[in-house]
Amino acid sequence: MTDMTVPARATLGTASGLALVALTEVAGAAFLRQFLLVDDWRAVVGLLALFGGALVAMQRLPAIEAGIEQAFGANRRFAVLLGVAIVLAFPFVLQNSSYALHLLIIAQLYAVLALALNFQLGSANIPNFATGASYGIGAYASALLALHWDVSFWLALPASAVVATIFGFLLGIPSMRTRDSYLALVTIAFGVVVHQLLNNLEFTGGPNGLVGIPAPELFGHSFASPLVIFGHSLPPQANFYYLSALLVGVAILFAGRLHHSRIGLAWNALRADELAARCQGINTTWYKVLAFAVDAFLAGFAGTIYAFYVGFISPDNFTFLVSVTIMTMVIAGGMDNTLGVIVGAFLLTLLPEKLRAFSDYRILFFGITVIAFLMIRPQGIFPQRLRRYGG
Amino acid sequence: MAEQLLQQILNWITLGSIYALIAVGFSLLFGVLNIIHFSHGDVALIAPFLALALVQTFAAALGAAATPGTMLLAVALAIALTGLLGILLDFLVIQRFRNAPAMMALVATVALGIVLRELIRHLFPNGSNPHAVPRLVQGSIDAFGVTVPLFNLVAIAVSVLCVAGLFVLLGNTRLGLHIKAVSQDRDAARLLSIAPGKIFRITFFIASAVGAVGGLFFAGYAGIVRFDFSIDVGLIGFSAAVVGGLGSMPGAIIGSLVIAGLDTLVQATVPNGAAYRLVFVFLLVIGVLVFRPAGLFGRTVVEKV
Repeated sequence: MTDMTVPARATLGTASGLALVALTEVAGAAFLRQFLLVDDWRAVVGLLALFGGALVAMQRLPAIEAGIEQAFGANRRFAVLLGVAIVLAFPFVLQNSSYALHLLIIAQLYAVLALALNFQLGSANIPNFATGASYGIGAYASALLALHWDVSFWLALPASAVVATIFGFLLGIPSMRTRDSYLALVTIAFGVVVHQLLNNLEFTGGPNGLVGIPAPELFGHSFASPLVIFGHSLPPQANFYYLSALLVGVAILFAGRLHHSRIGLAWNALRADELAARCQGINTTWYKVLAFAVDAFLAGFAGTIYAFYVGFISPDNFTFLVSVTIMTMVIAGGMDNTLGVIVGAFLLTLLPEKLRAFSDYRILFFGITVIAFLMIRPQGIFPQRLRRYGG
Repeated sequence: MAEQLLQQILNWITLGSIYALIAVGFSLLFGVLNIIHFSHGDVALIAPFLALALVQTFAAALGAAATPGTMLLAVALAIALTGLLGILLDFLVIQRFRNAPAMMALVATVALGIVLRELIRHLFPNGSNPHAVPRLVQGSIDAFGVTVPLFNLVAIAVSVLCVAGLFVLLGNTRLGLHIKAVSQDRDAARLLSIAPGKIFRITFFIASAVGAVGGLFFAGYAGIVRFDFSIDVGLIGFSAAVVGGLGSMPGAIIGSLVIAGLDTLVQATVPNGAAYRLVFVFLLVIGVLVFRPAGLFGRTVVEKV
């Protein structure tokens, strides 16, 4: 009898685990869809209350959270496949709303930026107020390549990431000698210098920025034209939606691989105690500079897609406030937690857009959010998980 | 040529003393609390807005145009209120981060600065637009072929007085002794029945009030003030304190003079220099931090196991 029950329970466990994974992902997607399509601010507040309620329930009943986590851990492949399928199918359920797609693109680009900053702020605890500047460097580098030398998007993408990374390394150099507040000042100063240069130099178009960046093309299909899949026509934004979704996927993969590698471990050691890390033989200088370079690399990608998506960039897209916004996303979402950072990015991109009545108060809202989270819940919506070793 | 040089030197000293009023606040707060109060510049630039609002209130209450007397009263009140604002911010936000990692306090005060700026933008009438700031002291004198506005002389004199007063307060009074005791060892000071909380509040008041004087002179010197001026002012003041060495008061003054000197030099010599001045200032800051991470006069703290 006992021999029979154990495998039976195990299969039941797998089935319920699969169901739990599917339920969680579909519910998340459905929530996001509703959130994107509602107009009435009361409905927005209602959805937010739902989200907050779910979070509180998870906090009160850790068993739910543990169950979901276990189910995802046991059915990784299924979870990833279903997630990819949902992401691919998502534009079809948005009632052809180009505005909803636009919001999704911006949210995804911010998710990439937040993941980029997370390597520093979350993993290594290095305050970096220059992510917005790296984003801008990526955007301007690719736009200049496209406008002056007719470089195609697909070449400009890696090229601008390389340019941004070089600047990231340059910014990392002062980090060899400075720490904490001093380093924060260096990154703020770097951001201001980049913004002022973009604003004043002739070849970057000054305050007017760069106009007329051509839309990318792939196999003869222009990204400015509607995307037709299985006879179903999607707005042109869908092209960029899939592109930025791909970038988010790559960034998540990147973040996961780095987190579980020796580099991620070294960054965490830096966060815990820099001196102790050095005593363990970790080359702290190199890992700090590397954190800056990785941040700039990902931010450069995001910048390129942004530039080609909107077709027009100006220095005001890449101010100090953009860096603070990205930092808000990381802190509110949860430092060193990939899912948390992405949720933070989506929430803080979509919320101000949805609460239009308060859009004027957006920046004030960001500031208060940061302070409130730091005071009440410094670990963010999704706290960082204990590092798991081995499997 | 000589007149031009004298004119530029005058600009340099004026700007330097205004920056110094802001920078000493950064240095004082860092020395006593061991945190960076990144929103100090924003606190300082609240003062001109308060003064403008008070002048208008007085004028409305008296039913007449503002006289120099009421303007002076408004300025004095604005300075005191800004000092109290410093205490309020400490009470509401900053004190919660006393024992937290330095980075949390840093990010929190950056956010606090944003909140202050946005509050001015939304609460002050026409907050997004620049506001004209009248100079309390008009007129000028001619010396060595240079027209010296009295305003510059007053700004320099008041700055010197403020900073000298601060030095006397810290060096020659009982309160200064208490402040230094708390900055050196909080727990030992408590054993000697000095309440650190009270000293922190006093320090916040002093730093914010001195910063307010700087903010008022900055607005008067520029002739206008806008809600986002404080970004540059805060960054320059903090840079000056860092270049001089955080925690060192003479360092903050020297740092202010160095930065104001570069600022003036760039504006006078580089074509279209006004647009690039911040670029040069911050490149200097990055350079100083790379070669002397503790600033020109800061002590290098070597962490030992």
